[in-house]
Amino acid sequence: MVKFYSSTDTYPYPFPAVTLAYFLRYPNPYSTHVISTDTIARDFDPDTQRLTTIRLHLKRSKLPSAVTKLLPRSLLGASATGDTQSYILEKSVVDVKEGWMDTESRNLEWTGVLSVIERQIFRRPVPDVPDDIKAFQGMEGAARRHGFLNFGGAGAGAKVGVDLNGETTDVESSVTLHSHVGETWRKKRAAASEGSSSSSEDEQTQKVGFLRSWGTATLQRNIEKIGLTRTLRSQPNAREGMKVVLERMREGGLVGVLEGMRKDREAILQGRDHIKKDGPPRAGEE
Amino acid sequence: MSASLAPECNQVKERYDTCFLKWYSEKFLRGAATTDECDPLFKQYEQCLSKVLKDRGIDKMVKEARDDNRENDAEHMKPKR
Repeated sequence: MVKFYSSTDTYPYPFPAVTLAYFLRYPNPYSTHVISTDTIARDFDPDTQRLTTIRLHLKRSKLPSAVTKLLPRSLLGASATGDTQSYILEKSVVDVKEGWMDTESRNLEWTGVLSVIERQIFRRPVPDVPDDIKAFQGMEGAARRHGFLNFGGAGAGAKVGVDLNGETTDVESSVTLHSHVGETWRKKRAAASEGSSSSSEDEQTQKVGFLRSWGTATLQRNIEKIGLTRTLRSQPNAREGMKVVLERMREGGLVGVLEGMRKDREAILQGRDHIKKDGPPRAGEE
Repeated sequence: MSASLAPECNQVKERYDTCFLKWYSEKFLRGAATTDECDPLFKQYEQCLSKVLKDRGIDKMVKEARDDNRENDAEHMKPKR
């Protein structure tokens, strides 16, 4: 079985700003669980003017107790309290001429237990006017956005530009949750019985025994349900995070966003220090 | 800027990210880009990071995920109107 979530939203910001905010969305005050973000591949095609980016995020998460009850902790690689880290691979393609950005994020580990694929498609709304006028408006819009994305920080003019032009960006989000739990183990066991002996055969047998007591389909359904509950809870935070970044951009341009990120990163580091030392904040810290 | 997975790559990542953001907002978004001007900096960043990805076995996971989805991508990333 597969579980599916979808929603649509409209950001009151021009498309180029939204794409930039997407790249700059971590860290933000709603993403303190994101430890790191790295670009691992980037390709610009001058002919199509499309930019493809692959990034790797490391996120801290706490497995819901419902999951640690369903599956052995040893299998999940989580600590006794359910703390774990997970790598997320994100791919995006931006076509600024056609006005769309297509993004997809997926978990890299435990995909057998639960694979979560999140897609977001951002689109510049197409005005209901003939093509030649559209092309002209496109250029005009680009000129206005010019000020909005001023690298040196947006002044009053850029702010007015955004408020006056009233450009918006549509976003379609979807999350697909799919548990394959039990399926690979069955395959591995079949392979093992064909002669290719595995050192972890005992472990496999143990897991299969555990699963048999549940029924694979029931287990998969339950894991997908838990995943969906989490998705429903995290989606509003993801949206709020984007809005914070976009507001910072409107207020202070790119410099404003970077300054906000710097503060968020400090807060995250300090938070982690506090947890580690288990002590009160030092003097001078907020 | 966001932190790198590998603290030793933070500096080179920051240099690349700064270059990218400038290029992205001043050239790419205005349809004025002809080449990826930050590619030399990306190569340095990639060199630093690839060692860490290999050491932690992440490179294999990434490769598998990308191979798995190559066909999906062909469908998924096709042009939209």
